[in-house]
Amino acid sequence: MMPGSQGMESRMDVPVPVIRLPRGPDGISRGFDLNSLRYQALGLKDCKELKQEQKARTVMREQYLRSLLAMAGQPVCFTMYEKVTVTACFGSSDIDILNFQVSELQTPLGVQREALLRCPDIISYTFQISPQHTGT
Amino acid sequence: MTDWCKKSPLDWKDYMNKEIKVTADEKNEYRGWVLTVDPVTANIVLVNVLEDGKVSVTVVMGHAVQKVDILDEGNDEIKERLAYLFMPEEIKTFSKEDLEKRKNSLKSWLEQNHIPVTQQGDEQRTLCVAGVLTIDPPYGPENCSSSNEIILSRVQALIQSAITH
Repeated sequence: MMPGSQGMESRMDVPVPVIRLPRGPDGISRGFDLNSLRYQALGLKDCKELKQEQKARTVMREQYLRSLLAMAGQPVCFTMYEKVTVTACFGSSDIDILNFQVSELQTPLGVQREALLRCPDIISYTFQISPQHTGT
Repeated sequence: MTDWCKKSPLDWKDYMNKEIKVTADEKNEYRGWVLTVDPVTANIVLVNVLEDGKVSVTVVMGHAVQKVDILDEGNDEIKERLAYLFMPEEIKTFSKEDLEKRKNSLKSWLEQNHIPVTQQGDEQRTLCVAGVLTIDPPYGPENCSSSNEIILSRVQALIQSAITH
């Protein structure tokens, strides 16, 4: 018997943690199988609740993105921190809504042709849509 | 990060189509009907109809929201008006009944061609083909979405032939 083998043996008794990821996409689905035992073992969230949550997410996100689309090319009034109010023509936004690209930004120091507004600096913004757009 | 940002999408959904008062940073207050809450940023989209018939849209950034109070629970009429506010023009030219008719005829056409179709989404308005392709109103070839381009082009061709049929 080699010296130290006793210690080796007891160390081997400690189970090695195995990370089991949920089963991957099976070719026809778009992601992890939410019904798989592996996914449920992760204990993330109740499958039914997750589905409901994702459905709510898509409905709300779609409406928000449509509101951004409707705002493109419109004059928008931005209320910023430190009681600053500026008006600009909205261009577009990045996907995480971190920056707004605007043109003709009217600031107290004159008009900026093109500008990026950092969304964390904004408190709120307002624009109007005409009734023909609403179709009612 | 405020409490508002930490809410779950299902909590935010409870505020949809209701009239609320939002208290934001620097003592700003806003009132309006909730069109939606962006699940990514928690931004609240508020809608108010002005006297001249124009619609004013105010968005309060999620990070600036301090307090939200519900003023009015709303009703189905408001829900319907809000739902169609930002819909593309092409949908609006069809009435609800027309869209339902178009959906059902397309569904039966696809079923005749042995393609499995289910309905899903808000008010079951979206058709789903074999779980990999969706068709949104008004159910034309350009309203198909899928990450599988082969299925996409096949179904689009099929819908096109249904129109010319």
